[in-house]
Parts: sequence; structure tokens; C-alpha cells
Amino acid sequence: MSSTTINPWLVVKEGMRLEPITLGSHVSYWIRHSPRRLLYSQSYYKFAGKLIGPGHSILDLGCGEGLGTWVLAKECGRAQGVDFDAEAIDAAKTNWQSDAIQFSCEDFFEARLGRFDAIVALDVIEHIPADHSEKWIRMIQDHLTEYGIAILGTPNITAQQYASEVARAGHVNLYSGDRLRDQLKRHFHQVFLFGANDEVVHTGYLPMAHYLIAVCCRKRQGGPA
Amino acid sequence: MNQTPSFQARQQWQQVRDRFDGPNWRLGKHWSYNLFVDPKRLGFVLSRYKFAAKMACAGCDVLELGCSEGIGTAILAESARSYTGVDLDTEAIRAATENWNQPAIRFIEDDFLGKVYGQFDSVVSLDVIEHIAIEREHEFFETMVRNLADEGIAVIGTPNQTAGVYASVASREGHINLYTADRFRRTIEQFFHTVFLFGMNDEIVHVGFEPMAHYLLAVGCNPKKGDRA
Repeated sequence: MSSTTINPWLVVKEGMRLEPITLGSHVSYWIRHSPRRLLYSQSYYKFAGKLIGPGHSILDLGCGEGLGTWVLAKECGRAQGVDFDAEAIDAAKTNWQSDAIQFSCEDFFEARLGRFDAIVALDVIEHIPADHSEKWIRMIQDHLTEYGIAILGTPNITAQQYASEVARAGHVNLYSGDRLRDQLKRHFHQVFLFGANDEVVHTGYLPMAHYLIAVCCRKRQGGPA
Repeated sequence: MNQTPSFQARQQWQQVRDRFDGPNWRLGKHWSYNLFVDPKRLGFVLSRYKFAAKMACAGCDVLELGCSEGIGTAILAESARSYTGVDLDTEAIRAATENWNQPAIRFIEDDFLGKVYGQFDSVVSLDVIEHIAIEREHEFFETMVRNLADEGIAVIGTPNQTAGVYASVASREGHINLYTADRFRRTIEQFFHTVFLFGMNDEIVHVGFEPMAHYLLAVGCNPKKGDRA
């Protein structure tokens, strides 16, 4: 054996030259208290990105620190993340620097960001008081192209009894599968509803799904039905 | 009095049994063969139908192109307003018709290419397109579009080309037009404004790496009527 044998792992490591990523306070809290949350959160984003497909412009509404926005950018080519949490947006801007992605701190109720082929909003609608949810859906419609797709994810109301205190504090508008479908059907011609348990997205019996994902297409013109 | 535990159990079971009304189901040649030779096939075929039903059938008028013996009819029709199944196999349509006697369910024996049966909310077609020569595939999709309402939904399923190497000799002979995920998506995008592509392995529908999916399922919405790209 020659004494100059190179450790193959060092060769691999040499290829990974990149600035280290420092996560913000929100995701850091998850990692400390509920690390599995990262798995299913990323898998919802993967599901959304795969359904939208490559070559589309995407708005990630309520993007937080942008871990999922990065999945969308990698899957679909381009993504823009917005959130009203300035600290989260700072972390996102620092960590995900690429031509394929951009972030801004916005109040979505006031925002005019242009039109997108797809909008992804995971874990947002349950934080919006029920009497504002119609306005929020109309804001989404205003940011979609004619055949644009909206993918909304939210915890199932049937899982609320198992939610942590922190989670419960923010959930002011939880949905059942039926209520989510009914409300969205008034604004979009097609609504496909999926359930998710852990990382698995499926079409099983909705009251037993931990999480709900609605895929909406073709906004109705001229107001809700 | 014979009140042994066994007697009571039988009595209870008989009460359950008495509820099984209606004639026995009679499978036709196609599904009798499938069930005998490859019994697990029934599982994944029915789960394809279940996925289609969940995507596109609740409250809808549903058309199935290539319904064979109507093995998926129960699942597609369960939440639908009406169901119409079309197939060119005389024997299969006869088997389907004998099992179903409901006003909202009808079967038509016909070569559906180029035909219009109405304006349906959803059109489902599983394991059909791979049997149609590539020169005629556009007729298949045009038929779907012409049978769909403006905001209608199509669910199309076909084996992945990458799984062709594992297929039985009989399957390979029939599969004259297998699709990769890319070609499947690109083809359907010519006929629908919105396309969602899923993969399937056994009964599991997913969005994983497409070349490793055994089966492909596409949901096409908003048919391009007269404005085909």
C-alpha cells in the first residue's frame, strides 16, 4: 500500500464546497422540539412541486425560512417566496442564494406581486380568521394566470385534539376535508383533495388524514359560484 | 334447546348472511382468467379505479372508455350521478350488462374512437392507450376531449415503458404503444390545459421518481377545445 492513498471520503467532501447554512429561529425550534416536522413539511412541498411540474413560475405564500421554496425552485425551475415574518425572510435570503429563487417580506392582503402559474400555500389558511378567508382566496385568484394552479395545505380539524399547545394557539380556522372542498369549489372549477399522514400523500378516508392538501385549478371568473 | 356457543355463532352469522341479497356476481372470460392466473392483479387494478373515482367522479356524469367487463364500474359509479361504459369486446359487455341492472348505469358495445356519447364531467380510461397504435393515439385523445364538458376531467392510466422489460409475453404483444412519463405528459398537454402526473407501484399512487414507477396515471383538466397547442 502506498502511503499516498487518498481517503475517498475526502474527495467526496472536496466536491461539497458550499457556505454552511444557518437556520432561523423557527426551523431551529422545530429541529429541537419536533424534528419529524421537517420530513413531512418537505414532503408536502415535494408533492406540490411534482404536481406543478417543470417550467412554471411559482409563488410560495407563507414561505417561512424558504426550505420548501427551495424544493419548489429545484423541481419547477423558479420560485418566489413571501412571508410577513421579516426574520424568517432574512434567514431565507441568506441561505438560498440562486437565480432560481427570490424572497420578500410582504403582507399578502396588501400585496401585488404579479401573476403566477402556480401558488403554493402550506399551513397558512388555518391562521386566517374564517371571515377573512374568502378575501384571502380572492387574493390568491388575483395572483393566478387563467389556468393557474393553487395548492393549499392545512391540518385536518379531526387531528386538532392531538396538536401541541403552540400549534393550537395559532390555529384559528381549521378545516375538515368537506368544508375545504366546499369553500374552494366555489372559487375554482376543479378541486382535487388529498390527505396526508406523515410523508405519505393519499386519497384515503379524509377524516383519518392528519393533513389536507387541496389542488385547485381554473379559477372561476366573475366571483364565487 | 341447543344453545351451544357454536349454535349461537352460526345463528348470528346467518343473520349477517341474510343481508347478502341480490344475485351472485358472474365474472366474464377476461376477469375469470385474470383472477385465476394472477389474483393480485385485482388489487392494483381496483386501486387505479379508486384513485380515478376520488379525482373525478363525485356527483359527475362519468364515461369510461375501454370498460371491459365493468370490473371498475362499482367504484366509479359509487359516487357518480351516472356511469356509461364503452368497449368493443362483445363478450365483456355482455358480462357487464348481466351484472348491472340500474337506470344510472349503462354499457355500450362500440369501437369508441371518433365517437361522441354525450358531454361528460369525467372520462376515465385505464389500460387502453398502450393498445392503440401511435399513429392513431391522437384520435384517442380527441375522442376524450369531444366527450368532455368544458371544465371536464380525464383520468388516463397506462403501464410505464420502463416496466416493459418485466411484462409477460402476452402483455408485450398487446402493448404496441408504451409511454415514458415524459412522453405521456407531453402528449396529454397537447389536449388539456392542465395535467397532473402520478406514478403507481402496486396499490400506491405517488409522485416519486417517474422512471421507477410501474404504472403512470395522468389527470387532465380543461380540455383544449378547438385551441389545441
